[in-house]
Amino acid sequence: MVDNIGIVDTRNIISAVTDTYGIDLSDYTFTILKRRLIHAINTFGSHSADDFADKIRKKAITADDFIYTVSLEVTEFFRDPSLWRELRDRYIPEICRATDSRIWLPCVTSGDELFSLAIVLNEAGFQGKTKIDAFCPSHKHVELVKKGGNYDQKKIEVSEANYTRYVGKTQFASYYTLNDNRAEMKPSLLNNVSIDVQSDILNATVTKKYKMVIYRNKLLQFNIPLYDKVIRKLVDSLEIGGYLVIGNMETLEYSEASKKLQIVNANEKIYKKRVD
Amino acid sequence: MNDYKAIMIGGSAGSFQVVTRIIAALPANYPLPILMCLHRLKHIRSGFVEALSIKSKLPIIEPHDKEPLKAGRIYLAPANYHMYIELGNRFSLSTEDVVNHSRPSIDLSFFSASYNFKRKLVGIILSGANKDGALGLKSVTDNGGLTIVQDPKECQVPTMTTASMNATKVDYVFSTKQIIDFLLKLA
Repeated sequence: MVDNIGIVDTRNIISAVTDTYGIDLSDYTFTILKRRLIHAINTFGSHSADDFADKIRKKAITADDFIYTVSLEVTEFFRDPSLWRELRDRYIPEICRATDSRIWLPCVTSGDELFSLAIVLNEAGFQGKTKIDAFCPSHKHVELVKKGGNYDQKKIEVSEANYTRYVGKTQFASYYTLNDNRAEMKPSLLNNVSIDVQSDILNATVTKKYKMVIYRNKLLQFNIPLYDKVIRKLVDSLEIGGYLVIGNMETLEYSEASKKLQIVNANEKIYKKRVD
Repeated sequence: MNDYKAIMIGGSAGSFQVVTRIIAALPANYPLPILMCLHRLKHIRSGFVEALSIKSKLPIIEPHDKEPLKAGRIYLAPANYHMYIELGNRFSLSTEDVVNHSRPSIDLSFFSASYNFKRKLVGIILSGANKDGALGLKSVTDNGGLTIVQDPKECQVPTMTTASMNATKVDYVFSTKQIIDFLLKLA
């Protein structure tokens, strides 16, 4: 079991990943990336950082498996219940009254936020009227999410409590089925959701601008130069008057692109696009 | 003695009164940043800073992700995020899974701070009911920093300090008053 790696080890793995998969991790937050790489080293049974880098270079690990393992899961449904309540009661009705309203989730891993949003749309009465575009970083994530995810008891307990604080309109249990103590969300929640693979948000093609983009706690993993590029991409993908939602302890202040937005809910970090 | 760049404090059950006494004793011009990782309810985002601020002469802040670390401030790990210090002295926050049933995890905060500050970090573990923080304090020792635990005899719940003393050879076992005196001498 590898429990720590140094900066040189991390750089060696970053080089192997770039050379083998064409994925550039050099501008990711060091501490978070290091911890994800340690997780991956142990998941793939490597005995050291060098051994892991060697496996990558020999293509003993596919790019899809690597991305799936390194990606961070969201650890609960309805994280920050007050945000989801705000979305259901105020922002979702506002954007969903328009015809052809679309919401973008550019990075869906374990599916918690996608299903939370689907439940919000359902409870706000807009499930059939609003389309969600969800991008997952790997094919494995797509498979997982399309079958309703796979959630353990601990996550379900935390999520039940969050759903109660969100003041849901039914029982959280009505949205999932249990198999061998693991929960799968009901596939009908995904009726108006398109799910595709896109491992790099900067390469995502946005053909029509969105009324809302939800990208919570994903900026945490980037250093400022990459963070700035991603924010520009998010802002460009929004129509004027559209909303960007980020994590409650994230900030846009280190990006010039934030000047195109105004904050409309400081507690929940909801921004509205002012100008193109 | 005056070479230290930061002080990190970890605590859990029984630490609130101790932390309050410590920060109340620090003058408004205290020069070192103080980083606090205290176990707290995940779903209650507000109120903790306000409660701690009542007796503090220094500003107490929950840092946003990527915020630069500044001297003369007290930073509190926000609810439901792990708090790290990156090289270049900026905070980073993370929503990774809980560690030792905790988010924020004291171990994770200490790991990153000790890696960043090396021997220029003072690590302090206070009263608490689980072993989170023990390996973190060991990482302070391993990186050449200075370690203090609150005297277990004084702790409301001594599990965390005892676990820390079992995990590493700590430099000082201090009462709250001795911790305060020590911190004042660093100024």
